[in-house]
Amino acid sequence: MKSYHKILLIIILLNVTSCTVLKEYEKVYINDELIALGPKSLERFEMNFQIYREAAAGGNGGKTGGGCGCN
Amino acid sequence: MIMKKNSLIIAFSMVSTILLGQQKDSDASYEKKVLDQVEIEFLSSYYEQDGKHGAVGGGLGSEKIQDVTPTLVVNIPIGKNGVLTVDSGISAYTSASSSNINPFYSANSSGEYDDYDDDDDKYEDDDDKSSKGNVPNTYSGASTSGNLTGGPIGTPWYASSGASRKDVLTYVSINYSESSEDRNRIVSSNLYVSNEYDYNSLGLGAGIVGLFNQKNTEVGAKVKAFFDQWKPIYPTELHEYGKYGSNFLNSGYFNNVNVLDQSGQNTSTYYPSKFKEWTSSNRNSYTASLDFSQILSQRAHILFNLDFVYQHGMLSTPYHRIYFNDIPKHYIGLSEFIPVYETNQNAGVFRLADDIERLPSSRIKIPFGTRLNIYASDVVAVRTFYRYYYDNWGITSHTASVELPFRISDSFVFTPSARYYSQVEANYFKPYGQHSSKDTFYTSDYDLSGFTSTQFGFGISYKDIFTQFKVLGFGLKNADFRFQHYYRSDGLNAIIYGLSLKFIQN
Repeated sequence: MKSYHKILLIIILLNVTSCTVLKEYEKVYINDELIALGPKSLERFEMNFQIYREAAAGGNGGKTGGGCGCN
Repeated sequence: MIMKKNSLIIAFSMVSTILLGQQKDSDASYEKKVLDQVEIEFLSSYYEQDGKHGAVGGGLGSEKIQDVTPTLVVNIPIGKNGVLTVDSGISAYTSASSSNINPFYSANSSGEYDDYDDDDDKYEDDDDKSSKGNVPNTYSGASTSGNLTGGPIGTPWYASSGASRKDVLTYVSINYSESSEDRNRIVSSNLYVSNEYDYNSLGLGAGIVGLFNQKNTEVGAKVKAFFDQWKPIYPTELHEYGKYGSNFLNSGYFNNVNVLDQSGQNTSTYYPSKFKEWTSSNRNSYTASLDFSQILSQRAHILFNLDFVYQHGMLSTPYHRIYFNDIPKHYIGLSEFIPVYETNQNAGVFRLADDIERLPSSRIKIPFGTRLNIYASDVVAVRTFYRYYYDNWGITSHTASVELPFRISDSFVFTPSARYYSQVEANYFKPYGQHSSKDTFYTSDYDLSGFTSTQFGFGISYKDIFTQFKVLGFGLKNADFRFQHYYRSDGLNAIIYGLSLKFIQN
């Protein structure tokens, strides 16, 4: 594993393990749709053409198969 | 048969779960529902692109596309724990590149050619009889030559009026999700069906999500399978070769049509012996996904997503032409345009294909993505995304994007966004005319080339929690507009507009 991959992994693990547990009433900001973790419904069209024009697909909750993508 | 059986099983399980949910509802209707009212969302987009590396022209020619996608999504509460989502729509497009599956025009009919959908022909072709004797507006470049009284002409730089210049993809996706009483488990199942003239797709999926740690941690797993079916359409010249064999230059479409060599002289040496039609036209895709999300603080959370995708079957596109560098060139059209064939000054000659794209019959894709979203202040938030992608065709890619939603008022949010993408080319890609006939696999589709792309745009969101604007008993809850401009380093440009209106039942 390359060194920067290790550093990235350590940062991620530190973030995940060091976080506090929030009560429901403390989740006002987290539940705000401005920072919702999923893509907005309207982004589906962009993700669709990106799958067609680029070889990469998936990893973003979007479509990973079906349809030829041939135009 | 297997597909039908699977569809029945999934449909039965979805209906069973729905009925079960309704039964439970009557016993404990005082509890809060997962979804209170029916929601209806109208979505639509307009997409336009242009470029100079059309895959149907073997990596050369117009890539002009226009696409309109009206879509309707309906969310229906089922009992207190279930939500049924019906997502349906169409994608109606015109494509200059696809139109050139049959690029040829002629004022005089150039021999017999099959109907668009000829039942007695094992091949499907792409001729549109209505355009046979006419030069369409989209082909104004050729008409300026003033020489349309002879044989057929064509060019990869303009759209032809072949039937494949336009198509409509129609799809329906049905999803049912059911939450547990404590809302710590969600199970879902999905059915997807789509249809295009030359392509059908059937998709099945199921997923489970678990929430832990007082709903601070979420873990999800999904599986999906798509069973797709091509109805192959081949480039005109290869279609005729496949149909008539060694005598094809004196038969069907080629009867009385002059084939030119590189010097513009008539020749009878065109013989695309590498071409063989596909005997199996299935394409199956299987995906397993793992999601993990974690609240990091009162203002930040993070998501990791790992997909494993396995595809098998006909992964090539049957009308993407290939031109070899070790085989003499052959053309149909006006010889004076041969010297400028590779430029958009070519208004009247089309090079005949040596073969179609050939790619391996299996592919493994492994994308890993992460999102980190931060509520920076009451005015602005930061939404970030990064993805690393690997596949066994030699492609790796990096994607990074950022969005900065600004809350302008209680109702309006303005969101500028930027995205960067880079990709290493597939092992089987080479530009126009650079493949060898000795190669096993080859493509000149620039979607599989090495490039970088950038995308900039913005979105405007409107939200009315009181749903004051009403239509037929439904109140407008959200309205969203997005505009994005996309630029690929090989010269492809695209824009996309999107509009969404979400109503809830009052």
